[in-house]
Amino acid sequence: MDNYRNVENKFRRYKAHVSIAGTTQFHIRNPYAIAWWSAAFPGFGHLLLSKYYRGLSLFIWEVIVNYNAKINLAMVHSFCGNIEAAKEVLDPRWMLMYIPVYLFGIWDSYRTSVDMNKVYLLAEKEDAPFNSFSIGAMEINYLDKRKPIMSVIWSLFMPGLGQLHIHRVVTAFFALIWTIVFLYFSKLLLSVHYLFLGQLTESTAVLDKQWLLFMPSMWGFAAYDSYVNTVENNKLFNNEQKDFLIKHYQDPTFRVKKGKVVK
Amino acid sequence: MVQIFSTFEHSTNLELAITVLEKNGIQKGNIFAVPLTNRKTERRLFDSIHNADGISLISTGAALGTAFAVIGASVGFKLAWGPIYWGLIGAAGGFALGVCIDVFYYKVIKKQQRLLRGKNSEVILVIECEESQADIVEDVLWHHFAIGTARVV
Repeated sequence: MDNYRNVENKFRRYKAHVSIAGTTQFHIRNPYAIAWWSAAFPGFGHLLLSKYYRGLSLFIWEVIVNYNAKINLAMVHSFCGNIEAAKEVLDPRWMLMYIPVYLFGIWDSYRTSVDMNKVYLLAEKEDAPFNSFSIGAMEINYLDKRKPIMSVIWSLFMPGLGQLHIHRVVTAFFALIWTIVFLYFSKLLLSVHYLFLGQLTESTAVLDKQWLLFMPSMWGFAAYDSYVNTVENNKLFNNEQKDFLIKHYQDPTFRVKKGKVVK
Repeated sequence: MVQIFSTFEHSTNLELAITVLEKNGIQKGNIFAVPLTNRKTERRLFDSIHNADGISLISTGAALGTAFAVIGASVGFKLAWGPIYWGLIGAAGGFALGVCIDVFYYKVIKKQQRLLRGKNSEVILVIECEESQADIVEDVLWHHFAIGTARVV
């Protein structure tokens, strides 16, 4: 059950929607920040824009093509100065396929965020009512205020938990599943385990470089995405309550008293 | 008749307060709410739940932290401390550098005067009621985290 249904279809743009799967909203974004996250990991820029189909397609594409082309492995070798080793591991059959889609991800998310900023300004001006409460058999979602710092802390423990905190079920599910894959194949936790035992050589040797390099972006994105969206959800709550109060609690016959303040 | 003035932050508590007042016999027409436009706060590292203008200083930090973590973890395979320590050092160093860049940009180059910290009054709520109800009304307001109240006769 929702508290708003678009029956008359008389509005042109809506600035937000609260559904069982999460809260989606237009808000002002820095296009360069969005482009950067697409560069860190194709798909992240689109996920930040709440464009889940595009974002998740690009994400899966990145994992498959990067893995087969060994882009991450070549990055490790390059940063270490082993250019020959980098040339050695790259697979040209996959590598050349990587470039156009990688650049498309950056370009498209940049372009889309510029566009969506304009749409936000128009939607904000139109100020159409939107659904802000949703209850169903399996879930409940509604607008409320949450602490942004808690989103960051939970994301750092496990990417995806910050998104669960603010009820972004799609991103949360995806981040959680892929973090399992990356952590397992990179043997990162095994490496941390060796570190705790003081065995530094084993700790380094056990790591899988190709899978390991997916993780920094995963952590950074999860923390940034959940943080930004917590802040924006809080702002949306304030705005929605403001409209509600103006609509229902401003009786024109109400007269403010000109008396004396008593203690 | 008296009027009780009070200020609130936007929260579910505010709507709870109004509901309790209506249950106690205050007519809807005797409740007057004035949402305020607030002065922007000074940029800070993290937005709090009370005040979220979304222009805090972590965007560049998150971006550089991720970039440096990738480089640190890569180069770490060659360095004495290994990829995990260097990845973490990269993340922390990149984040700190990003925050410094933003602080420098917003506080030195752009120099915005934004000076309001902590709790802000976001809504003024005026309740008109009988003098006999005034104590109950004030009680309800305080219980739902009013920032301040005043009684006008």
